[in-house]
Amino acid sequence: MKLIRVNMSDKTIRVEDVPQEYAGLGGRGLTSIMVNAEVPPRCDPLGPENKLIFAPGFLSGTTLPNTSRLSIGAKSPLTGGIKESNVGGTMAAALGRLGITAIVVEGQAAEGELFALRIDDRGKASLIPAQEYNGMRTYKVVEEVLEAYGETTSVVCIGPAGEYRLAIASIQCSDMDGHASRAAGRGGLGAVMGAKGLKAIIVDRRGKSADPVADPEAFKEAVKAVVKIVKADHMSAEVMPKLGTAALVAPVNSMGAFPSYNARKGTLDGWEEICGERMAEMIKERGGNPTHRGCDQCAIHCSNVFVDKDGNYVTSALEYETIWAMGGMTGIADLDTIARLDNLCDDIGIDTMSTGVAVAVAMDAGYRAFGDGKAAIEMVEEIGQGTEFGRILGSGPAAVGRHFNHDRVPVVKGQSVAAYDPRAMLGLGVTFATSPMGADHTAGNLVGAYLEQMLDPLNPEGQVETSRFLQIAMAAFDTMGQCFMANVALLSPESLAAFGKVVEAKLGIQLEPEEFPFGLGTRVLKAEREFNRKAGFTQEDDRLPKFYYEEPLPPHNTVFVISNEELDGVFDF
Amino acid sequence: MKVRVRLFGTLGERFPGYRPTQGVEVEIPDRATVKDLLTHLGIPESQRPTVIVEGRILKADDRMQDGVPVSIMQTISGG
Repeated sequence: MKLIRVNMSDKTIRVEDVPQEYAGLGGRGLTSIMVNAEVPPRCDPLGPENKLIFAPGFLSGTTLPNTSRLSIGAKSPLTGGIKESNVGGTMAAALGRLGITAIVVEGQAAEGELFALRIDDRGKASLIPAQEYNGMRTYKVVEEVLEAYGETTSVVCIGPAGEYRLAIASIQCSDMDGHASRAAGRGGLGAVMGAKGLKAIIVDRRGKSADPVADPEAFKEAVKAVVKIVKADHMSAEVMPKLGTAALVAPVNSMGAFPSYNARKGTLDGWEEICGERMAEMIKERGGNPTHRGCDQCAIHCSNVFVDKDGNYVTSALEYETIWAMGGMTGIADLDTIARLDNLCDDIGIDTMSTGVAVAVAMDAGYRAFGDGKAAIEMVEEIGQGTEFGRILGSGPAAVGRHFNHDRVPVVKGQSVAAYDPRAMLGLGVTFATSPMGADHTAGNLVGAYLEQMLDPLNPEGQVETSRFLQIAMAAFDTMGQCFMANVALLSPESLAAFGKVVEAKLGIQLEPEEFPFGLGTRVLKAEREFNRKAGFTQEDDRLPKFYYEEPLPPHNTVFVISNEELDGVFDF
Repeated sequence: MKVRVRLFGTLGERFPGYRPTQGVEVEIPDRATVKDLLTHLGIPESQRPTVIVEGRILKADDRMQDGVPVSIMQTISGG
């Protein structure tokens, strides 16, 4: 239970016990509450006053499977508001095993300086000069670090986009195979890391000083119960390992809610060529791996290794949101091109979703034709090269819209929407509009509720209430470090109670029923909303772009119909 | 009546030789419901099937229509 505070201005490192006000927190709960408490809301996100916080979940590093989510928080250069972006891979468990609650990166190195933070197997942290990694792409960074420090090392790093301080720059994390393929993509946190002068964090994965569990026997029993529920869930146990998140391509297209051609249509022509079923078949035929363990502690294996026609590695994992952004929005119904674009984004260190949408906005403005895969690859390469146009693209869809004076820009609070059109899935519009993160697919996603027939995606009834419930539940789960793929198996009252017992056993206290997820989730959301308010956000920022209210989306030809008053009531708690 | 059914998720595995591009054609009684179709295909509730026709999710008691293609998905969350 310690915080490692790294000051990039004077290069000092301070180790502190976790203060009482942050006790029992991890992940998003910790990063958001700490950003709200410690970062001046009106500060320059790329200046020395911003803080970049890396926090494993509260349960990361324990024996509970699927707890390898690392939350990264700061003030976002993309939205201007609070940001938490979480990532799988190997870092959360590595920090958890060392009993490190968070790394807090403060201050700013002098222009031109570049450092890496190294933490050894006893948890000792040191800053080391990293000029040799200047401008290096992420796969190469991880390769060189593993060569220097050994295979049992975890790395988070930025690519050239982060060094250029571009607003859609990601922070990449190494996976189980030593690829920089896992992304904390959203909100431009790579730019914050670049502005601090920090290229990488390098952590030994062999730590043996995890925080003690208060009641080990009860913990063991509670873990067993949660594992049993997750294993019995058809999505976690069967669909995810076989198809991964790409399994969503078919249902969302079939429901007419797959934003295509920069959200001009709800179904992509030729979506069958890029759906999860087709992808799994291709991967198997070519000798790749459709059922891959990408993250430490993972028991679900939703990841895949996508290979080319000759069986050579292209990327891991090819996921639903990337397939949509790089395929649906751009009209490119070709998995080989999409996989290449995914790898390019990871390597340059940019968010696949914001990048795909930025490319789509440029195509919609007439810069290149929809469906032109070669042009998309060239455009994304320009971001890595840091050309003038590449820097506009790397500043996100809104910057591209301004450049072309084009107003069909699907963003909320500056961040691109995700793979569900609010006109055909109204509740997703509620979440996109109101999440403190900007438009976000993990903050409260209703697609499962629609497929379960709990509510009709085109009927306004129940959308606000369901979005509210899910936003609260996800804020609580994001604090725990457990993967979304396991979280969704645990949303019934009985399952939530079973999960609550894991938390109780770790803490050694009894939780009141209202404390998890409601109490924790609302505490996190309140902190995030308070920060945004102090940063200058108003209710007017909790709105979708105008075209969603005016331009009907085929095939249903509906518009977004949830009123502003209803949106303003989402956080009435 | 006859309906062409396309199966998604892992449902295709239940039908040896299933080809995703073609789907399967099934003959079911006139006035058959969604529930009848799933029973006919032997897809249990544990597979969490969701039937979609013309962009809309059907309920268990909704009736199938002759010649109108059907997609059967599995419930999953996003993602």
